[in-house]
Amino acid sequence: MMKNKLPIGLSVVVPIYNEEKSIGLLYTSIRDACEAVPQHYEIIFIDDGSRDNSFSELEALHQKDPHVKVIRFRKNYGQTAAMATGFRAARGDVVVSMDGDLQNDPVDIPRLLAKIDDGYDVVCGWRKARKDKLISRKIPSWIANWIIGKITQVPIHDNGCSLKAYRKKIIKQVSLYSELHRFIPAMSSLAGARITEIVVTHHARQFGVSKYGISRAWKVLSDLFLIKLLTGFVTRPSLWFGLGALCALLVGVGGMLGGMIVGVGGITFLTVAFLFCSLAGHLLVMGILGEVIVETGNYRPSKMIVVQ
Amino acid sequence: MAVFTKESATGQYSLTFNEPKCVGVSIVIPVTERCDDLIEIYRVHKDILNCRGVESEFIFVIDGGFEWEGDRVRALAHKEEFVRVIQLSRPFGEATALAVGFEQAEGDVVVTMPSYFQTIPEGLDTVLNALDQDCDVAIARRWPRHDRWVNKMQNSGFHFVLRWFTGVRFHDLGCGLRGMKKRVTCELQLYGDLHRFIPLLAYQRGFRVREVDVSQHQADQSTRIYKPGVYLRRLLDILTVAFLFKFTKKPLRFFGLIGAGLFFAGFALSSYLAMEKILGISGLADRPMLILGVLLMVLGVQTGSLGLLGEIIIFTHARKMKDYTIEKFLK
Repeated sequence: MMKNKLPIGLSVVVPIYNEEKSIGLLYTSIRDACEAVPQHYEIIFIDDGSRDNSFSELEALHQKDPHVKVIRFRKNYGQTAAMATGFRAARGDVVVSMDGDLQNDPVDIPRLLAKIDDGYDVVCGWRKARKDKLISRKIPSWIANWIIGKITQVPIHDNGCSLKAYRKKIIKQVSLYSELHRFIPAMSSLAGARITEIVVTHHARQFGVSKYGISRAWKVLSDLFLIKLLTGFVTRPSLWFGLGALCALLVGVGGMLGGMIVGVGGITFLTVAFLFCSLAGHLLVMGILGEVIVETGNYRPSKMIVVQ
Repeated sequence: MAVFTKESATGQYSLTFNEPKCVGVSIVIPVTERCDDLIEIYRVHKDILNCRGVESEFIFVIDGGFEWEGDRVRALAHKEEFVRVIQLSRPFGEATALAVGFEQAEGDVVVTMPSYFQTIPEGLDTVLNALDQDCDVAIARRWPRHDRWVNKMQNSGFHFVLRWFTGVRFHDLGCGLRGMKKRVTCELQLYGDLHRFIPLLAYQRGFRVREVDVSQHQADQSTRIYKPGVYLRRLLDILTVAFLFKFTKKPLRFFGLIGAGLFFAGFALSSYLAMEKILGISGLADRPMLILGVLLMVLGVQTGSLGLLGEIIIFTHARKMKDYTIEKFLK
């Protein structure tokens, strides 16, 4: 197989869910954009358990064009799982992700690549002139992005835009599960990745219906706090658990001393103090366990830093 | 030529294949608890399979403690081609027996069947018909069910609790007649008492599961009341499956919620007592209730920290785990 031996420079990862009408147009526009760059490329479509004819369309494309690879999920697992699978399968040095609904324009891909060549590790698209409903989509998005930027300290205007380019080294390290694909920039910046953004074109939806609604906001927020918590904890679990243990120990010892010196209330007070001491011991053990877990896992920010 | 295996003390299987076989349907019959005339079960179902014109094999997996039943089918295995008997060395339970049977089955379609008459024999036909259509797993539901009300109540209670925990609606997981395609049995990992939840596990892995109605057999209608321990185990099974089903990837949300509940209960209790002290109604020191309050708070923090640890495990190991299944990869 010749095509497997060529070193691939660019992988385009596109999750597809019930987009039978878009696929043809999508494919030609991605192909045209990819032909404009010098690297060898591959296009990976992930069919996230579509119920329409998306898969047969993709299969036909695969037979026609060896650049096209298709992964089909057995049922619908969501965009994060689809992207994670695509990233895992991607072999290019640069991986570009984008939506399958034609709202992103592949014409921007060469510009993303140019930024990568400038030395950035992650280039995010910013849908500055966004063609969506103001109240239900744009305003919640502005608020969410403002909060995300404040909390993660990564000043990206548009985390929700799928059109992004990553260096392979970064994307293969990022931990993606649940709904976390939105936080890839935040997670990679913790690892020392250089992040930038460029303005990309955005089209109104032509076919099909949007799969998102405002109910997603709560999920995004809870994921945000999760990610903040985790990225803090994951770097130094023993530190954070140790701090908790210290607090508990202080309360416990304080209570004991107070009980003995001041002489208040006998057995109840002492029991409570002992309880806090045991909590301190528990948290200390947890911290050690956490350290072991992080050490054996894949997510080690120190390994992700790109040295040039 | 029939092939005969026995699990040795080391847990290894010795298997000899004398000739290549072409098998369409493998019937796996675990003999682990109740047991009717196995020869009769074989005969009746073999007739049905012959009528359909499919090549079939029967695999009897005899659990430890049922050796005397095994001796009878072993005579059958010597006589008939495509009948195999696997004897387990000690009681392992139904899930293990099924897993062993799945390992040995060579058919494209694997049907599990109880070792007693639970549904009418024609049920096999119904299940195979359903599998011929567009589904990967077809499970029989005893319907119309002419059963004692005790059995019916236990059944609906079980499924009500299950639905409450997992949100998936099945009607009769206790029915042992299930047909599935080979690729399903290859993927499922069965242990403990999980055999009951085969349809649920298959559904979670993205297979298409269908329930088909099969009349209940006359012989299945005796009242069954179990020891309390059995009911407790069922409940624990449901909890296990619910956890596997819903929260494997969100431990912090699961434990965090429980932990937060405990913490705030304890906090409320303690602050109420503190309020009484401040208002001078009663002293704080001689109130055992304070111990309970603080204990709850401590327990809450501990539960929450367990959830956090679980989340760290998922976060740092997520790349190794896959909770989605790929049907096809066109490279």
